[in-house]
Amino acid sequence: MNAHTTGVARGERAPAPASQVRIRPAYDANASGPSVVNMWQRGVPVDEKLWTPSVIALLVVAAVGIVLAIYRLTGNLGSVSGMTDVYAWGVWKTFNVMTLTALGTGGLSIGAAAWIFGRKDFHVVMRTALVMSLMFYLTGLLALGIDVGRPWNFYHVLMPWKWNVHSSLLEVAVCMPLYATLFLALENLPMLGERLWYYGSNETRARLTALRRPFRGAYPFLIAGAYMLPAMHQSSLGALLLLAGPKVHPLWQTPALPLLYLMQAGICGFGFTIVTLMTSCLVWQRPLDLKVIGALGDWMSRLILVWLGVRFVDLYVRGEVGRVFTFDRYSTLFLIENAMVFVPAVILRSRKFARTPRIVFNMAVMTCIGGMAYRFIPTTVSYDPGHQFSYFPALPELLVMLGLIALAIVGFNLAAKLFAVLPAPFDSWVEAVEWLEVERHQAEAKSHGNAAHD
Amino acid sequence: MKLSRRQALRGAFGLGATAAVATGAARAESTSATESEQPKASAPIGLLYDTTRCIGCKACVTACTSANGLAPDSGASEGLHQMPQDLNSRTKNIIKLYTSPDGSERSFVKRQCMHCAEPACASGCPFHALRKDPVSGVIGWDGELCIGCRYCEVVCPFEIPKFEWDRFNPKVVKCELCRHLLDAGAAEPACTAACPTDAVIFGRREELLHDAKGRIESSPGKYHQNRVYGEKEAGGTQVLYLSHVPFARIGLPVLEDMSLPEYANRYHRIIYQWMALPAAVYAVMAGVIRARWKKHDHEAMEIERAGGPMDQL
Repeated sequence: MNAHTTGVARGERAPAPASQVRIRPAYDANASGPSVVNMWQRGVPVDEKLWTPSVIALLVVAAVGIVLAIYRLTGNLGSVSGMTDVYAWGVWKTFNVMTLTALGTGGLSIGAAAWIFGRKDFHVVMRTALVMSLMFYLTGLLALGIDVGRPWNFYHVLMPWKWNVHSSLLEVAVCMPLYATLFLALENLPMLGERLWYYGSNETRARLTALRRPFRGAYPFLIAGAYMLPAMHQSSLGALLLLAGPKVHPLWQTPALPLLYLMQAGICGFGFTIVTLMTSCLVWQRPLDLKVIGALGDWMSRLILVWLGVRFVDLYVRGEVGRVFTFDRYSTLFLIENAMVFVPAVILRSRKFARTPRIVFNMAVMTCIGGMAYRFIPTTVSYDPGHQFSYFPALPELLVMLGLIALAIVGFNLAAKLFAVLPAPFDSWVEAVEWLEVERHQAEAKSHGNAAHD
Repeated sequence: MKLSRRQALRGAFGLGATAAVATGAARAESTSATESEQPKASAPIGLLYDTTRCIGCKACVTACTSANGLAPDSGASEGLHQMPQDLNSRTKNIIKLYTSPDGSERSFVKRQCMHCAEPACASGCPFHALRKDPVSGVIGWDGELCIGCRYCEVVCPFEIPKFEWDRFNPKVVKCELCRHLLDAGAAEPACTAACPTDAVIFGRREELLHDAKGRIESSPGKYHQNRVYGEKEAGGTQVLYLSHVPFARIGLPVLEDMSLPEYANRYHRIIYQWMALPAAVYAVMAGVIRARWKKHDHEAMEIERAGGPMDQL
């Protein structure tokens, strides 16, 4: 068989020989569960060079951002940002952290659906969601580190006796790094373990096997924490705006903000997992599993309807419904923002549309934009301290923001090539493993040969 | 209100204080040093500012700058004299002038930290860098604890804390009621000591409120709504205002009586009390997940034993 036709990481693509023989394992993956030709079964690495032109282009964007970030860290905030005393928070906090981590809530959304609500069919897209979450959270943390004016005092986060436990910002400051660097990282660890197992020596394999049991024993408790923490800090991000009180427009300022922020994160988690999966399948020419994609869209759609329900009940209870239809700047924004999630929710209720890839993709993109708008607007657009001032990010500020986003995309891209992240049909996994076995044997034979020469 | 010897003396120096605007007088410190009354606060202290008494001399502005060791902001006057446009990282205290579009209505206004009874800034500050003194009620900043997140600026309803955007080691700058002078034994902050007309006076909040209400009573109709701004706004502030023009026109926001921390933490405190609810939710989630996990783990191991692929987590 030809080693180069198959799935793993590096190597040039060669045309597949006609006489290719497939070895089927004893276990038949299609025996239990629905059988579709393109059914996703397992994560399989993408067979592509690591450093493609698009990765290098993104790295250039990231490098510009990093250089500017270093310039900011050795200088001051005023010279690189459009922030002022009136708009003291700029896009690094309001976009990279408060908005983009909502897109990175896939780890919570998919995980909770799979493990708490028993959607076994979502297990296959867990890794995509987890890597995506890790990238958004890590770049979000970098943005926080660049944004704070006195980062050298941040070590207080490790000293609970210095905490102001009633501060929502403290909750975010403790919870978000803890989640990203510990819980989310551990959730992503099996991917690394798997790669080491397939590539490593027999000794490495033995060590990994020994580690596997305790890890699997702790796993349910680990992931319960990995759902608790983001639920806490995603709602706390909304709670941050409560303290700003009347500065935030009444259409957005509500005691329900924490709940709405958390739910919107859940929605964006589903939405952006769909976007990531479909974009990756398009870019790397993977078959789509529309049953799983459709089910994700269905969850997203239901969650949106509940979210809209909570939002309008809250407006009614507060007696602010009248403001929705004044058609001033804020009312218009509010209506657009809600329409951006309402339209996808309704369209995806249709069974036919929910099975049409183009429509599901567009609706997921629309939901993500609407969700991002909801998370961003109260921090900046409908945040009005009542002055004649306005805020627009300065160019270096925007470049750092874009650099961090580029870094996240590069991270995801490389992870998809190095690790078994993206879901694929069973066949591609079998091919990938076979190719690896051939590689291993060749390498071993080569080293034996060398040893004989010496 | 009784007139002390010092105040009478200061009245005579009224013109001198106007001249001090240009020279940047440090007279405040010397005046208060002569006073030998109570050095330390034993109750919430604050200021009472009366727009009808302020002559706009800005003696308090220069006195504040020198008492706090700040570099005078002279940008707007091309470096000729101190002329801040608003509160900023070099100006903890400012006198501004409001004029109605037709020019018929005017008022000076002094702006500085209001020292809220329940401050949003200190409530939101993650590491207690901004902390309200339990006795004097003065809200002070501690650079050892501050991470420079600027959440205080985002939440302050009066837009008081200012940030040094142009510095590598930025400080949060706001009026701390000259706590360093009071601690050193001064009788009052630099601004009240410098005021030639007693437009702003220093004292215990309770007494200042009583004084303000007395002024309203003795001349009803003189002050807007016949009430004291800061008595109830946002849960009450330790700096109080009497104004002959509507408060909003001199930049004092219309606020509800409920304090912002009370509004923001109403549900937060219940949810996070003793971390009981998060712990309970965690326990329930862990239980459900573990039940599902056991089943999943069993099936996965069966498959692996049957020669199937390794379970992917």
